[in-house]
Amino acid sequence: MSNTKFEFAEMHWLMDVLQSIDVGLVILDRDYKIQLWNGFMENHSGLRPIEVQDKALFESFHDIPEKWFRQKAEPVFELKTRTFTIWEQRPYLFKFKNYRPITGRASTMYQNSSIIPLESADGSVNHICLIIYDVTDIAVNREDLTQANSHLAHLSQTDSLTQLYNRGFWEEEFQREHKRCIRSHNASCLVMFDIDHFKNVNDQYGHQAGDEVIRTLSSMVLQTARETDICGRYGGEEFAIMLVDTNASEATFFTERLRKKVAAMIVKTDEHEIQFTISSGVAEFSEDFTKHSQWIEAADKALYHAKENGRNRTTVYQSK
Amino acid sequence: MIIQGFRLLLKTINLKATQIMALPVLICDDSSFARKQMKRALPDNWDIDLTFAGNGLEGIEAIRQGKGEVVFLDLTMPEMDGYGVLEIIRKEDLPAMVIVVSGDIQPDAQERVKKLGAMAFIKKPIDKEKATQILTEFGILSAAE
Amino acid sequence: MTTLINEDQRDCYQEITNIAMGQAADRLARLLNVYVILPIPKVNMISASELHMALADTTINDNVSAVCQGFIASGIAGEALLIFNDASFSDLAKLMNYKGPLDRHGELELLMDVSSVLIGACIQGIGDQFEISFNQGHPVVLGQHCHVDDLVKSGNHQWSQTLAIEIHYEIENMNINCDLLLLFTEDSVAKINQQIDYLLD
Repeated sequence: MSNTKFEFAEMHWLMDVLQSIDVGLVILDRDYKIQLWNGFMENHSGLRPIEVQDKALFESFHDIPEKWFRQKAEPVFELKTRTFTIWEQRPYLFKFKNYRPITGRASTMYQNSSIIPLESADGSVNHICLIIYDVTDIAVNREDLTQANSHLAHLSQTDSLTQLYNRGFWEEEFQREHKRCIRSHNASCLVMFDIDHFKNVNDQYGHQAGDEVIRTLSSMVLQTARETDICGRYGGEEFAIMLVDTNASEATFFTERLRKKVAAMIVKTDEHEIQFTISSGVAEFSEDFTKHSQWIEAADKALYHAKENGRNRTTVYQSK
Repeated sequence: MIIQGFRLLLKTINLKATQIMALPVLICDDSSFARKQMKRALPDNWDIDLTFAGNGLEGIEAIRQGKGEVVFLDLTMPEMDGYGVLEIIRKEDLPAMVIVVSGDIQPDAQERVKKLGAMAFIKKPIDKEKATQILTEFGILSAAE
Repeated sequence: MTTLINEDQRDCYQEITNIAMGQAADRLARLLNVYVILPIPKVNMISASELHMALADTTINDNVSAVCQGFIASGIAGEALLIFNDASFSDLAKLMNYKGPLDRHGELELLMDVSSVLIGACIQGIGDQFEISFNQGHPVVLGQHCHVDDLVKSGNHQWSQTLAIEIHYEIENMNINCDLLLLFTEDSVAKINQQIDYLLD
């Protein structure tokens, strides 16, 4: 083979490779008009090179936000630097179907892309190459993992019967809030409450009925509390709520509303109709509570006081 | 600008007068590697008396002693940086023609050193071609050399 | 076997980085129309256990967001970590003319745009001086709004020593702080040392 022939063959091989490589290659000129469109792009888009040749990218592909893409591509022209986009920014540039349309779980192909400068003979950059990588499997796996982790986190934080925070997680959150109070000096209230004579409910109607009472009460708590409040099941029939940015009189308003709703409620099981009441202790944050346990003790004392004074009531902690 | 040009001219005259002796050239850079590269980039048959300084303070000291009529000055240095050196040269009106040789090539840096009286700005890494071109451009290196 | 670098070599690494980071700063300066304050880069051989310390040194207590990008050419391989102090994003958004909401996603956009330019230019600048052209992998987000300790999982590393080059970038008159960490594998260091000895000779 002569030299020219060999070079020609080499060119031909290279073109074949570019054509069949499983990566998208697009060359754009300074006006973002498509100059090269390889086999990957053709096959996934259904558009032949002749159909896109010299057409502006944004006209042919409306899914690509022009302003966003220019922000990534202009530095490539201007600074001769490479830039990259990842699927976390936008799942895809070109809306292509998943490579595995039957067994794959994503409907569209997730894509990473690189944009690289192509220098002309005079050193200026008048063309850029856009390289598209299929990262669907990586993206789907990552999203699965994130989901699994957040599910695990939920499981480890939540009390399964009531869907309130379990004691461990509630205390962590409470400690954080306690620290925030020390820093910010904002009024926040801790409420501890429990079901009056809960032992009698269990003895009289059985443990399943007791569980139903706790479950119903908890869902009422979740309905009554704000999203920012931190509600936890502290013990068997004892609950704790951190009312954020709330003073003692506002907290009393909250507990009284809850108390009245509970007193008016009837929990129906297969055989019984159960009525019950709750008692609450409220403690507003004080600078004296240097440890979070002191704050809990205060709310506990107030709760004890409510019990002593006849139950079905709210007591606010008074420091001496 | 005019004053600056005038000052440069004066410095050049000053330079011509002492040309009988070897020209005192100072390379001021904290990196010994950079100093070496700079030295290597200087024209081959240039009759000079070369001094090195490892930071701005040493550099100023050498200039005061007349060892730096031509100074190749780095910008980013400990003790005293290149900007500091330029300021002192201006304040004390020291007879030094400064060519800044820097890796900090931001437009702002180039503008700042020019304002501070530097004669020229060369991007690192330096090579023989760039050095010779600048030296010729400012008449420090005559065509004969 | 532990690879060491001598003082001459360290100085050389510093100077090469200095030039590369200057080029990177220049591009960032042009992109954002600001002046980037350039420090003297720190060059050290560190062990796997010291990497955490080096990372912890970069920021004080604050929450950070970071991306990481691998690069390789002619037997020289490494990773570039760009760590942004989360407090930087509001000023960065102003400079980048970013109009969208500055939520997690908005910050990711800014992080990617800046890291493309900074890391790309720095790697290219180093490559140019050795007359090689690095291939760059895709950037990976190491974390957003996390503590610097959580960026790199400790333990179970495949390596014992790495050459770490730390560059702290600051933007004049702006609350923008970031650290670029260039980490080279141990076998790369031997390769680079050869190149450097050639340059020093």
